[in-house]
Amino acid sequence: MSMVRNWSIGRVLILVILLGAAAISIFPFIWMIVGMTLNPNDVLKGILVPGPEFASNWNKATTSYNLPVFFFNSLKIALLTVIFGLVVNGLAAYGFEKHQSKARDKVFGVLLLTLIIPQIALVIPMFRMFAFFRLLNTHAAIILPSIMSVFIIFFMRQNFKMFPTEIMEAARVDGASEFGIFVRIVTPSMQATYASAAIYLFLGQWNSYLWPLITILSDEKKTLPIAMASMMSAYTIEYGALMVIVCISVLPVLVLFLAMQKQFVAGLLGSVK
Amino acid sequence: MAQRGTYQRYLNRFGWFCVTPAMVLFSLFMLYPIVSSLYYVTRRWKGMSNTFIGLGNFVRMAHDQVFQGALANNFIFMVIQIPIMIFLALMLAVLLNQGIRRFRGPLRLAIFLPAVTSLVVVSVLFRVLLQQNGMLNNVLLDAHLITTPIGWLNDAFWAKVTIILAMTWRWTGYNMVFFLVGLQSIDTEIYEAAEVDGASKFRQLFSITIPLLMPVILFSLVTSTSGTMQLFDEPNILTWQGGPANATMTAALYIYRQAFFVNADFGYATAMSYVVVLISGIFAIVQMRLLGERKAK
Repeated sequence: MSMVRNWSIGRVLILVILLGAAAISIFPFIWMIVGMTLNPNDVLKGILVPGPEFASNWNKATTSYNLPVFFFNSLKIALLTVIFGLVVNGLAAYGFEKHQSKARDKVFGVLLLTLIIPQIALVIPMFRMFAFFRLLNTHAAIILPSIMSVFIIFFMRQNFKMFPTEIMEAARVDGASEFGIFVRIVTPSMQATYASAAIYLFLGQWNSYLWPLITILSDEKKTLPIAMASMMSAYTIEYGALMVIVCISVLPVLVLFLAMQKQFVAGLLGSVK
Repeated sequence: MAQRGTYQRYLNRFGWFCVTPAMVLFSLFMLYPIVSSLYYVTRRWKGMSNTFIGLGNFVRMAHDQVFQGALANNFIFMVIQIPIMIFLALMLAVLLNQGIRRFRGPLRLAIFLPAVTSLVVVSVLFRVLLQQNGMLNNVLLDAHLITTPIGWLNDAFWAKVTIILAMTWRWTGYNMVFFLVGLQSIDTEIYEAAEVDGASKFRQLFSITIPLLMPVILFSLVTSTSGTMQLFDEPNILTWQGGPANATMTAALYIYRQAFFVNADFGYATAMSYVVVLISGIFAIVQMRLLGERKAK
């Protein structure tokens, strides 16, 4: 009976608004999952009852659209970006924070200044540079420019601040080398920071569109976003197969988010701290 | 003493060792493009060759109505979409934080979920949902809210609405999470004191919650503004190359098309990107000032 007393009109309204927002947020996910099992016409209509077409949609996606190739291209590029990015940016953040000097502070200031420059302003000279080195239409062209991230260096530096310098001093007294201190003492205790940075780097690369669109020309080099975008330009679109590719491209990010919600949000929130 | 000097030098060398890989990549992919753009901006490309034209690209820009229209579109999306999104995100955050206790976790999770999709996926999904004979039109027709299908993708006005709808779906939950973190850092004792003083919930919202949340609101304003200035994926895929008839053309998309699609004029495209950098810079400085003033208070 106490339930009834608590359900004032205001509370019901609040719940209705929140449930409405949640429904609108979730609906496209349900629609694209169900869409994998429908024929193109039913996908378009937005039917939410699963149909019998999953096997044929999956076949189309994997044979006529090379889904496995796109998926592994995207995965390879994103993972290599994460690995190199963590090493390069983590080391730089540590150097800027724990080995400060006037000169390095100036360098850091220059780095921060470039944060406001939009990507579109950089792609033209970069395109010419990669053309000059004959690296267009390679995955290296996608990976190399995304390894160093000023934002990640800034984010990791903020977190390195919290690492107590006394521990480093103690290790020095024990005769540890500076590199040893970084690799064996500092890095293992900053796992949460590295996890957030890894998620940020992964998302940035997994989702990137503009630069791969400019550099990648051949079908077998395409990443998932490029493949999806070019599918949309076809005269007739296989909506069922498209939904398979869309779902596969959302899945890793969704799993990453559900498995590591805290670090995921921290990665997004990093700059607020 | 001499030994201490050597040790300091060792530490300093290690400091440089740490930052060098990042500095090399920064020089190649940030400094070099910036510096070399000074060359591009003064030139005009014709086929494979290019000639010096000084500030000619900027003169051309002054007469380029498509570029001006594209910039205007960026502003339209900015002044309409960002306030709508921030209002919705703020409302949802406050309702989640204070309105309910049950289902708070799952609801927050659900509303944040669109943020796991890439802008390409958002564009693809909305492009399918908003076809003339697509889901949304069917629902609206069945509910008798409209009598003829809306041209979400091929009417100049509705195409802009489409872009705003897609951006709002993708980013509201994302911003709501920022606001929720901000709300949780507000001391509940302030509300208890206000309650004792007889302040209504509404009054509390405008006198306590929103002022204390201002730094977070400004932060999301800064990031949203810079994101909207760079709008590219949605107009290129969702409304197809800025269509219909450039109704959703944005600056970034127009620059891309001038450089890599239409006539490969790297000089003109670079000059236009200067304008985008300048505008983004002005916005960033103004908004940072606002943020700084709030912090100083």
